[in-house]
Amino acid sequence: MHPKQVILVVEDEILIRMVVAEYLRDCGYRVIEAASADEAMVILQHLEIDVEVILSDVEMPGFMDGFQLSQWLSANRPGIDVILTGSVSRASEAAAELCDSGPIPKPYEPKLAADRIKQLMALRAARRKKQG
Amino acid sequence: MPAADTGAVSTAQHPMNATVLVVEDEVLIRVAACDELRARGYVVIEAVSADEALSVLRSPVQVNLVLTDLKMPGAMDGAALVKLIRAEFPFLKVIMVSGQAPDPAIRALLDGYFPKPVAPSEIASFLQQLTSARVTKSDDRERGSLAS
Repeated sequence: MHPKQVILVVEDEILIRMVVAEYLRDCGYRVIEAASADEAMVILQHLEIDVEVILSDVEMPGFMDGFQLSQWLSANRPGIDVILTGSVSRASEAAAELCDSGPIPKPYEPKLAADRIKQLMALRAARRKKQG
Repeated sequence: MPAADTGAVSTAQHPMNATVLVVEDEVLIRVAACDELRARGYVVIEAVSADEALSVLRSPVQVNLVLTDLKMPGAMDGAALVKLIRAEFPFLKVIMVSGQAPDPAIRALLDGYFPKPVAPSEIASFLQQLTSARVTKSDDRERGSLAS
């Protein structure tokens, strides 16, 4: 039995977070929810969970926004892939620098996020296979 | 089509798809409680504040039980949330988990109360009893005991 792949959803709007997280659970992922980048940092630093992909809003209240979270991840946890969501201009700016693919502009259908995650998971698997 | 179906199956009894709204601002406590409840078959919605909880309760999503902390940041604490739930959603079951005991007036509105720290499994077991039994006396509500 394989462990479920883990997605961390970082989103401060409850009605969006709830719907996206539940959709991804229905797709078979283990989903951890954070309502801010600050919460995401606590999860990443205190829980021994192998998070593979983070789906994060760009604009969030708190000590860090999604852009800064991506920068921290890039420097400290490069094994985690990030998909940004949010206002196109800001997210594009962040995504161009930190992510392989473009941002998901809000509002978006959860299926779009799930499709993007599935693509990333396939890329990660291919990368792992290549590395032996 | 599941993208990451691993075939993992919970052996816990499925509580008839009951939806639990967990209201807790401490993320590690919230994740542990929600993981336990999901492992037992509940649909779990996570809220980090009473304000978020109200947004969910006033949305079309149907919630069966609310598990709330007492002390939380924001315009409302857990006590205010409980009062509001009793006024707007009288049939919802509400359980409080808190390091500080709520006032007797608030406790009387609850279906259960657990002082922190409490094991997530203890809360989950109580919720399973609550969904299949009736609480009859307020005196029996502390630490999740149910009237027989």
